[in-house]
Amino acid sequence: MIALRVAWITMRELISERVFYLLLTFAVLALGFSLLLGQLTYAEQAKITLDFLLAAVEISMVLFSIFMGIGLFKRELLLGSVAMVLSKPISRSSFLVGKYLGQVAIQFAVMFCMLLVTLAIQSNFEGNSSALSVIQAVGLIFLEVLVLTAMAYFFAVNAGTITAAIVTLCLFAVGHMRESIVYHYNISISRSWIWPVIMSLIPDLEIFNMKTIASYGYTLDGTQLFWAVSYSFCCAVFFLFVACVCFANKDIAT
Amino acid sequence: MTNSQFPFDISLTDVYKTYPLGLWKKKEAVCGVSFAVPRGEVVGLLGPNGSGKSTILKMTLGFIRPTAGEILVCGHAPSERQSRSFVGYLPENPRFQKFLTAREVLRYYGALCRLERSALSKRVDELLELVALTDAGNERIAGFSKGMVQRLAMAQALLARPRILLFDEPMSGLDPLGRMELRQLIARIHDEMPEATIFFSSHVLSDVEQLCASVVLLSKGKLKSFSRIDELLGARTEAYELTVRGVPEGHQADWGKRLRHSPLGETWTVDGTEDLLEALNDLKGLGAQVVGVFSQRTSLEQKLFGRVSNPDPDQPETEVTR
Repeated sequence: MIALRVAWITMRELISERVFYLLLTFAVLALGFSLLLGQLTYAEQAKITLDFLLAAVEISMVLFSIFMGIGLFKRELLLGSVAMVLSKPISRSSFLVGKYLGQVAIQFAVMFCMLLVTLAIQSNFEGNSSALSVIQAVGLIFLEVLVLTAMAYFFAVNAGTITAAIVTLCLFAVGHMRESIVYHYNISISRSWIWPVIMSLIPDLEIFNMKTIASYGYTLDGTQLFWAVSYSFCCAVFFLFVACVCFANKDIAT
Repeated sequence: MTNSQFPFDISLTDVYKTYPLGLWKKKEAVCGVSFAVPRGEVVGLLGPNGSGKSTILKMTLGFIRPTAGEILVCGHAPSERQSRSFVGYLPENPRFQKFLTAREVLRYYGALCRLERSALSKRVDELLELVALTDAGNERIAGFSKGMVQRLAMAQALLARPRILLFDEPMSGLDPLGRMELRQLIARIHDEMPEATIFFSSHVLSDVEQLCASVVLLSKGKLKSFSRIDELLGARTEAYELTVRGVPEGHQADWGKRLRHSPLGETWTVDGTEDLLEALNDLKGLGAQVVGVFSQRTSLEQKLFGRVSNPDPDQPETEVTR
């Protein structure tokens, strides 16, 4: 209940932020730009437009999850507003989980709007994609955002604002290239225990990438979806749990 | 341990706090501090910048952990969530979400204190009235002055009727009027909640002098003294300064001696109350006009400066006279 109260205030805080509207404008522009780019091509207009639209949704939401998450949390610490909250009989974990849930709820609402826009644009093109494949693709991006937001909070607790943002962005990139890196490691680097350990700690974000196949109208079956949802929740809970443990043991010099 | 078994609301036993400064260096912010704040007292925490006042308050709230030693709040360690149910905290620079109204802020913090909805609404109204913010209750905090924010922060500290009130530099950054209002508010809170312990740090010594029964004095992270304020200042009637007009030139008095001449008149010094009464009678007989009578009580500032600088190496470093 306490976490939900914090989540409610976080949601209100997010929608009162100037950065939120900046990122929202970026998302709208990215969607508009995707539509424009699709118009420039002659062949496979529907596919290219949808590819760009889904990429726009992903980039917008990744920026949103990293910068809003870290910024919001760090500002509470720097300004000292966290002191009055934590002086109440609540656990630090409730505060952190509440912040996370509030941000995720807003991200869900924004993504839902972007999904509607994408579906509306997609319905104007005659292509191979279906509404279900688009919904699945955006849904998977949301699952990825759940993991990234938890990672952003983990690094926000343990590092400075800029470091946390850079490391989370790097892990987002590495998470998408994980398979390639593992493959490259197997063929060119001498074996040692450290690399497998490091790679196993980095979530495989390619699991949530069906942007390319969505434009061909492919959809995931129940097992694949269940695996993606389970993987996302496990990763998010893991990062959030470690963030809570670190935050609970951290000195808060407000 | 139950609360009734524990006579002190806050107790620190041989508490140390060391902050790392880079890889090798360390800074001792608090060094072996021990004292206990009895229930229902107003206690001031004094000391120059960097003396460890805020560190002690933050350790009491569980924001930071002591490197060594034990802190108990109503018999509970500050890391326990239960300890904070006894505490209301006013930080030095309170910040609220600016998009919220004063009423919404108090409802939010009340919910964090697990107050029931119906009881909370009533309590919010009471507190808004107490801190004179009833009219501004539905206004956004973005438009509040610093004094209003400070009073709102005071209200949030009082929400759950806590047994301990911790104020970190409550008068900081306020204008004289704001300071006076807050001082009156603290005095009123103490009158209305006499069982509540108020423990606050301040740089404004006159405020401490007026509000506190006892003072904890820190210097460089060490406890210098913990004493009742009247013991620290000494008797109120040590000596008096009399400013008078119309005393005949060359007049010799056995009740005091002439100090200086000022535009207001001549200033005389008198030792003790009996001499003062004699002087007033004598001056009346002479037809002199008494412009003012001032107690020559040593100010808290003078006393503290003396203790913090500790010029006498033979003087014990820590003095607890409570």
